Amino acid sequence: MKCHNIQKRLSAYQDGELDPREQEQVRGHLLSCRACREQFAELERVWQTLEGLEQVHPDPWFYRQVVRKIKEPRERGLLPTLQQVFRLSRVPVAVSIILIIGLLAGTYLGSILARCDLFPFFQSNAVSDSLGVLTSMRVFDPAPPGTLAEGYYRMVSY
Amino acid sequence: MDILPPSEELMARIARGDEDAFEILVNRHQTSILNLVYRFIGDRTQAKDLAQEVFMRVWQSAKSYEPKAKFTTWIYRITANLCFNELKSARRKKWFSFNWSDEDGEHTFEETLSDNAPSAEDLLLEKERSRQISDALQSLPDNQRMALVLKRYDDLSYQEIAQVIGCSVSAVESLLVRAKRTLQEKLKNYEK
Repeated sequence: MKCHNIQKRLSAYQDGELDPREQEQVRGHLLSCRACREQFAELERVWQTLEGLEQVHPDPWFYRQVVRKIKEPRERGLLPTLQQVFRLSRVPVAVSIILIIGLLAGTYLGSILARCDLFPFFQSNAVSDSLGVLTSMRVFDPAPPGTLAEGYYRMVSY
Repeated sequence: MDILPPSEELMARIARGDEDAFEILVNRHQTSILNLVYRFIGDRTQAKDLAQEVFMRVWQSAKSYEPKAKFTTWIYRITANLCFNELKSARRKKWFSFNWSDEDGEHTFEETLSDNAPSAEDLLLEKERSRQISDALQSLPDNQRMALVLKRYDDLSYQEIAQVIGCSVSAVESLLVRAKRTLQEKLKNYEK
Protein backbone atom coordinates (compact mmCIF):
# COMPACT_ATOMS: atom_id res chain seq x y z
CA MET A 1 0.00 0.00 0.00
CA LYS A 2 1.07 3.55 -0.69
CA CYS A 3 1.61 6.17 2.02
CA HIS A 4 -1.57 8.00 1.00
CA ASN A 5 -3.70 4.89 1.56
CA ILE A 6 -1.89 3.99 4.75
CA GLN A 7 -2.44 7.44 6.24
CA LYS A 8 -6.16 7.20 5.60
CA ARG A 9 -6.31 4.03 7.70
CA LEU A 10 -4.02 5.15 10.53
CA SER A 11 -6.91 6.16 12.76
CA ALA A 12 -8.67 2.81 12.38
CA TYR A 13 -5.31 1.07 12.87
CA GLN A 14 -4.81 2.96 16.11
CA ASP A 15 -8.28 1.95 17.26
CA GLY A 16 -7.64 -1.69 16.37
CA GLU A 17 -10.53 -1.69 13.90
CA LEU A 18 -8.77 -3.08 10.82
CA ASP A 19 -9.03 -6.70 9.82
CA PRO A 20 -5.90 -8.72 10.75
CA ARG A 21 -4.48 -8.68 7.19
CA GLU A 22 -4.81 -4.92 6.85
CA GLN A 23 -3.55 -4.40 10.40
CA GLU A 24 -0.41 -6.34 9.48
CA GLN A 25 0.04 -4.37 6.23
CA VAL A 26 -0.12 -1.04 8.07
CA ARG A 27 2.23 -2.29 10.79
CA GLY A 28 4.74 -3.46 8.18
CA HIS A 29 4.53 -0.15 6.35
CA LEU A 30 5.07 1.84 9.56
CA LEU A 31 8.26 -0.11 10.23
CA SER A 32 9.71 0.95 6.90
CA CYS A 33 8.25 4.46 6.34
CA ARG A 34 9.47 7.29 8.51
CA ALA A 35 6.86 9.88 7.36
CA CYS A 36 3.91 7.60 8.16
CA ARG A 37 5.55 6.59 11.41
CA GLU A 38 5.79 10.24 12.44
CA GLN A 39 2.18 10.79 11.54
CA PHE A 40 1.14 7.83 13.63
CA ALA A 41 3.27 9.05 16.53
CA GLU A 42 1.42 12.36 16.31
CA LEU A 43 -1.92 10.55 16.55
CA GLU A 44 -0.68 8.64 19.56
CA ARG A 45 0.48 11.85 21.23
CA VAL A 46 -2.97 13.41 20.86
CA TRP A 47 -4.55 10.22 22.21
CA GLN A 48 -2.25 10.38 25.22
CA THR A 49 -2.97 14.06 25.72
CA LEU A 50 -6.69 13.31 26.07
CA GLU A 51 -5.79 11.33 29.17
CA GLY A 52 -5.40 14.65 30.95
CA LEU A 53 -9.10 15.41 30.95
CA GLU A 54 -10.26 15.33 34.54
CA GLN A 55 -12.71 12.73 35.74
CA VAL A 56 -15.91 13.69 37.50
CA HIS A 57 -17.02 11.73 40.53
CA PRO A 58 -20.71 11.41 41.34
CA ASP A 59 -21.99 12.79 44.64
CA PRO A 60 -22.66 10.20 47.36
CA TRP A 61 -26.34 11.20 47.17
CA PHE A 62 -26.56 10.77 43.39
CA TYR A 63 -28.93 7.79 43.61
CA ARG A 64 -31.15 9.53 46.20
CA GLN A 65 -31.47 12.55 43.89
CA VAL A 66 -32.48 10.33 40.97
CA VAL A 67 -35.14 8.65 43.11
CA ARG A 68 -36.42 11.99 44.36
CA LYS A 69 -36.75 13.23 40.79
CA ILE A 70 -38.61 10.08 39.77
CA LYS A 71 -41.00 10.38 42.69
CA GLU A 72 -41.86 13.98 41.93
CA PRO A 73 -43.29 13.50 38.46
CA ARG A 74 -45.98 16.15 38.76
CA GLU A 75 -43.62 18.87 39.84
CA ARG A 76 -41.07 17.87 37.22
CA GLY A 77 -43.51 17.04 34.46
CA LEU A 78 -45.83 20.02 34.55
CA LEU A 79 -43.62 22.88 35.58
CA PRO A 80 -40.94 22.44 32.94
CA THR A 81 -43.66 22.20 30.28
CA LEU A 82 -45.22 25.45 31.42
CA GLN A 83 -41.83 27.06 31.66
CA GLN A 84 -40.98 25.84 28.18
CA VAL A 85 -44.25 27.17 26.76
CA PHE A 86 -43.61 30.49 28.46
CA ARG A 87 -40.03 30.61 27.19
CA LEU A 88 -40.96 29.81 23.61
CA SER A 89 -43.93 32.20 23.51
CA ARG A 90 -42.01 35.13 24.96
CA VAL A 91 -41.28 36.84 21.63
CA PRO A 92 -44.77 36.54 20.07
CA VAL A 93 -46.40 37.63 23.35
CA ALA A 94 -44.12 40.66 23.60
CA VAL A 95 -44.87 41.66 19.98
CA SER A 96 -48.63 41.29 20.57
CA ILE A 97 -48.49 43.38 23.74
CA ILE A 98 -46.57 46.13 21.93
CA LEU A 99 -49.12 46.12 19.08
CA ILE A 100 -52.08 46.27 21.48
CA ILE A 101 -50.47 49.09 23.46
CA GLY A 102 -49.77 50.92 20.18
CA LEU A 103 -53.38 50.56 19.02
CA LEU A 104 -54.80 51.69 22.36
CA ALA A 105 -52.40 54.63 22.57
CA GLY A 106 -53.24 55.63 18.98
CA THR A 107 -56.98 55.54 19.68
CA TYR A 108 -56.55 57.50 22.89
CA LEU A 109 -54.35 60.14 21.24
CA GLY A 110 -56.78 60.42 18.35
CA SER A 111 -59.68 61.07 20.69
CA ILE A 112 -57.64 63.73 22.57
CA LEU A 113 -56.68 65.49 19.33
CA ALA A 114 -60.29 65.45 18.17
CA ARG A 115 -61.32 67.21 21.36
CA CYS A 116 -58.67 69.94 21.36
CA ASP A 117 -58.36 72.97 18.97
CA LEU A 118 -54.93 72.07 17.66
CA PHE A 119 -56.31 70.15 14.69
CA PRO A 120 -59.62 71.65 13.53
CA PHE A 121 -60.06 68.81 11.02
CA PHE A 122 -60.76 66.43 13.88
CA GLN A 123 -63.53 68.60 15.24
CA SER A 124 -67.01 67.44 14.27
CA ASN A 125 -68.10 70.81 12.66
CA ALA A 126 -65.03 70.92 10.45
CA VAL A 127 -65.61 67.35 9.33
CA SER A 128 -69.28 67.94 8.52
CA ASP A 129 -68.36 71.14 6.55
CA SER A 130 -65.84 69.26 4.49
CA LEU A 131 -68.34 66.50 3.82
CA GLY A 132 -70.96 69.11 2.76
CA VAL A 133 -68.53 70.65 0.24
CA LEU A 134 -67.67 67.24 -1.20
CA THR A 135 -71.35 66.27 -1.50
CA SER A 136 -72.30 69.54 -3.21
CA MET A 137 -69.53 68.95 -5.78
CA ARG A 138 -71.07 65.51 -6.36
CA VAL A 139 -67.63 63.97 -6.31
CA PHE A 140 -69.11 60.63 -5.20
CA ASP A 141 -71.43 60.43 -8.27
CA PRO A 142 -70.58 57.72 -10.84
CA ALA A 143 -70.30 60.54 -13.43
CA PRO A 144 -69.60 63.86 -11.65
CA PRO A 145 -70.71 66.97 -13.63
CA GLY A 146 -68.14 68.45 -16.04
CA THR A 147 -66.11 65.27 -16.35
CA LEU A 148 -65.41 63.09 -19.40
CA ALA A 149 -67.40 60.33 -17.76
CA GLU A 150 -70.45 62.59 -17.71
CA GLY A 151 -69.96 63.29 -21.47
CA TYR A 152 -69.96 59.58 -22.31
CA TYR A 153 -72.92 59.01 -20.04
CA ARG A 154 -74.95 61.72 -21.90
CA MET A 155 -74.01 60.33 -25.35
CA VAL A 156 -75.17 56.86 -24.36
CA SER A 157 -78.43 58.08 -22.86
CA TYR A 158 -79.48 60.06 -26.00
CA MET B 1 -15.38 -10.90 40.05
CA ASP B 2 -18.75 -9.15 40.16
CA ILE B 3 -21.13 -11.25 42.22
CA LEU B 4 -24.02 -8.93 41.44
CA PRO B 5 -26.37 -9.84 38.58
CA PRO B 6 -25.69 -8.46 35.09
CA SER B 7 -27.40 -5.22 34.09
CA GLU B 8 -29.78 -6.97 31.68
CA GLU B 9 -31.10 -9.08 34.56
CA LEU B 10 -31.37 -6.02 36.78
CA MET B 11 -33.46 -4.34 34.11
CA ALA B 12 -35.96 -7.19 34.20
CA ARG B 13 -36.27 -6.71 37.95
CA ILE B 14 -36.54 -2.93 37.58
CA ALA B 15 -39.41 -3.47 35.14
CA ARG B 16 -41.23 -5.19 38.01
CA GLY B 17 -40.60 -2.12 40.19
CA ASP B 18 -37.61 -3.45 42.16
CA GLU B 19 -35.90 -0.39 43.62
CA ASP B 20 -32.96 -2.36 45.03
CA ALA B 21 -32.10 -3.54 41.53
CA PHE B 22 -32.34 0.04 40.34
CA GLU B 23 -29.95 1.20 43.05
CA ILE B 24 -27.40 -1.44 42.06
CA LEU B 25 -27.73 -0.43 38.41
CA VAL B 26 -27.33 3.29 39.17
CA ASN B 27 -24.30 2.67 41.38
CA ARG B 28 -22.74 0.50 38.69
CA HIS B 29 -23.13 2.94 35.80
CA GLN B 30 -23.29 6.40 37.39
CA THR B 31 -19.59 7.20 37.00
CA SER B 32 -19.37 6.21 33.35
CA ILE B 33 -22.60 8.01 32.42
CA LEU B 34 -21.70 11.12 34.39
CA ASN B 35 -18.28 11.27 32.75
CA LEU B 36 -19.64 10.63 29.27
CA VAL B 37 -22.03 13.55 29.68
CA TYR B 38 -19.37 15.76 31.23
CA ARG B 39 -16.86 15.07 28.46
CA PHE B 40 -19.50 15.77 25.87
CA ILE B 41 -21.15 18.84 27.43
CA GLY B 42 -18.11 20.27 29.22
CA ASP B 43 -20.07 21.51 32.23
CA ARG B 44 -20.02 19.75 35.58
CA THR B 45 -23.37 20.91 36.98
CA GLN B 46 -25.23 20.36 33.76
CA ALA B 47 -23.58 16.95 33.45
CA LYS B 48 -24.87 15.93 36.88
CA ASP B 49 -28.44 16.93 36.02
CA LEU B 50 -28.34 15.18 32.67
CA ALA B 51 -26.84 12.02 34.12
CA GLN B 52 -29.70 11.90 36.64
CA GLU B 53 -32.11 12.44 33.77
CA VAL B 54 -30.57 9.43 32.00
CA PHE B 55 -31.33 7.18 34.97
CA MET B 56 -34.85 8.57 35.21
CA ARG B 57 -35.36 7.50 31.59
CA VAL B 58 -33.92 4.09 32.40
CA TRP B 59 -36.47 3.67 35.20
CA GLN B 60 -39.33 4.93 33.05
CA SER B 61 -38.52 2.76 30.03
CA ALA B 62 -37.55 -0.38 31.95
CA LYS B 63 -40.79 -2.09 30.92
CA SER B 64 -40.14 -1.53 27.25
CA TYR B 65 -36.48 -2.57 27.47
CA GLU B 66 -35.61 -5.62 25.39
CA PRO B 67 -32.10 -6.98 25.83
CA LYS B 68 -31.36 -7.16 22.11
CA ALA B 69 -28.19 -5.12 22.34
CA LYS B 70 -25.75 -4.82 25.22
CA PHE B 71 -27.18 -2.83 28.14
CA THR B 72 -24.29 -0.34 27.95
CA THR B 73 -25.03 0.34 24.29
CA TRP B 74 -28.67 0.97 25.16
CA ILE B 75 -27.93 3.33 28.05
CA TYR B 76 -25.26 5.13 26.00
CA ARG B 77 -27.84 5.66 23.27
CA ILE B 78 -30.22 7.26 25.80
CA THR B 79 -27.35 9.40 27.04
CA ALA B 80 -26.28 10.45 23.54
CA ASN B 81 -29.83 11.41 22.57
CA LEU B 82 -30.26 13.44 25.74
CA CYS B 83 -26.95 15.20 25.19
CA PHE B 84 -27.74 16.03 21.55
CA ASN B 85 -31.19 17.34 22.51
CA GLU B 86 -29.76 19.35 25.37
CA LEU B 87 -27.26 21.06 23.09
CA LYS B 88 -29.91 21.73 20.46
CA SER B 89 -32.22 23.34 22.99
CA ALA B 90 -29.31 25.30 24.51
CA ARG B 91 -28.47 26.66 21.05
CA ARG B 92 -32.11 27.56 20.45
CA LYS B 93 -32.23 29.41 23.79
CA LYS B 94 -29.02 31.21 22.93
CA TRP B 95 -30.52 32.27 19.62
CA PHE B 96 -33.56 33.75 21.36
CA SER B 97 -31.65 35.55 24.06
CA PHE B 98 -28.64 37.81 24.03
CA ASN B 99 -25.50 36.25 25.39
CA TRP B 100 -23.05 38.76 26.73
CA SER B 101 -20.74 36.28 28.40
CA ASP B 102 -17.10 36.38 27.44
CA GLU B 103 -16.47 32.66 27.38
CA ASP B 104 -14.95 32.21 23.97
CA GLY B 105 -12.57 29.47 25.09
CA GLU B 106 -9.80 30.84 22.93
CA HIS B 107 -7.30 31.59 25.66
CA THR B 108 -3.85 30.22 25.25
CA PHE B 109 -2.18 28.14 27.86
CA GLU B 110 0.36 30.85 28.62
CA GLU B 111 -2.31 33.56 28.91
CA THR B 112 -4.21 31.64 31.52
CA LEU B 113 -1.10 30.83 33.44
CA SER B 114 -0.16 34.48 33.67
CA ASP B 115 -3.70 35.27 34.90
CA ASN B 116 -3.39 32.99 37.90
CA ALA B 117 -1.29 33.07 41.01
CA PRO B 118 1.90 30.99 40.69
CA SER B 119 1.31 29.17 43.97
CA ALA B 120 0.00 25.58 43.80
CA GLU B 121 1.49 25.44 40.33
CA ASP B 122 1.08 21.74 39.82
CA LEU B 123 -2.60 21.84 40.62
CA LEU B 124 -3.07 24.79 38.36
CA LEU B 125 -1.23 23.08 35.53
CA GLU B 126 -3.35 20.02 35.82
CA LYS B 127 -6.55 22.04 35.91
CA GLU B 128 -5.47 24.09 32.95
CA ARG B 129 -4.44 21.03 31.03
CA SER B 130 -7.89 19.58 31.55
CA ARG B 131 -9.59 22.82 30.56
CA GLN B 132 -7.60 23.03 27.36
CA ILE B 133 -8.51 19.48 26.42
CA SER B 134 -12.14 20.16 27.25
CA ASP B 135 -12.09 23.30 25.08
CA ALA B 136 -10.57 21.35 22.21
CA LEU B 137 -13.25 18.67 22.56
CA GLN B 138 -16.01 21.27 22.70
CA SER B 139 -14.78 22.74 19.43
CA LEU B 140 -15.65 19.50 17.62
CA PRO B 141 -19.03 19.03 15.95
CA ASP B 142 -21.50 17.06 18.14
CA ASN B 143 -21.30 13.74 16.28
CA GLN B 144 -17.50 13.80 16.07
CA ARG B 145 -17.22 14.64 19.75
CA MET B 146 -19.60 11.89 20.81
CA ALA B 147 -17.77 9.33 18.66
CA LEU B 148 -14.40 10.39 20.01
CA VAL B 149 -15.48 10.38 23.65
CA LEU B 150 -17.05 6.94 23.28
CA LYS B 151 -13.89 5.59 21.65
CA ARG B 152 -11.28 7.29 23.78
CA TYR B 153 -12.82 7.10 27.22
CA ASP B 154 -15.30 4.23 27.01
CA ASP B 155 -13.39 2.11 24.49
CA LEU B 156 -16.45 1.22 22.47
CA SER B 157 -15.97 -0.52 19.13
CA TYR B 158 -16.92 1.25 15.88
CA GLN B 159 -19.92 -1.08 15.68
CA GLU B 160 -21.13 -0.04 19.13
CA ILE B 161 -20.51 3.65 18.47
CA ALA B 162 -22.54 3.32 15.27
CA GLN B 163 -25.42 1.86 17.27
CA VAL B 164 -25.23 4.61 19.88
CA ILE B 165 -25.07 7.49 17.42
CA GLY B 166 -27.31 5.86 14.83
CA CYS B 167 -25.04 5.82 11.80
CA SER B 168 -22.94 3.36 9.77
CA VAL B 169 -19.59 1.92 10.84
CA SER B 170 -17.82 3.66 7.96
CA ALA B 171 -19.39 6.96 9.07
CA VAL B 172 -17.95 6.39 12.55
CA GLU B 173 -14.49 5.83 11.07
CA SER B 174 -14.77 9.03 9.10
CA LEU B 175 -16.06 10.97 12.14
CA LEU B 176 -13.07 9.78 14.15
CA VAL B 177 -10.53 10.59 11.43
CA ARG B 178 -11.84 14.16 11.23
CA ALA B 179 -12.10 14.53 15.01
CA LYS B 180 -8.50 13.38 15.52
CA ARG B 181 -7.26 15.66 12.78
CA THR B 182 -8.98 18.66 14.39
CA LEU B 183 -7.66 17.77 17.83
CA GLN B 184 -4.12 17.44 16.45
CA GLU B 185 -4.43 21.01 15.25
CA LYS B 186 -6.13 22.35 18.39
CA LEU B 187 -3.75 20.69 20.82
CA LYS B 188 -0.60 21.44 18.85
CA ASN B 189 0.49 24.29 21.12
CA TYR B 190 -0.43 22.33 24.18
CA GLU B 191 1.91 19.52 23.31
CA LYS B 192 4.97 21.68 22.74
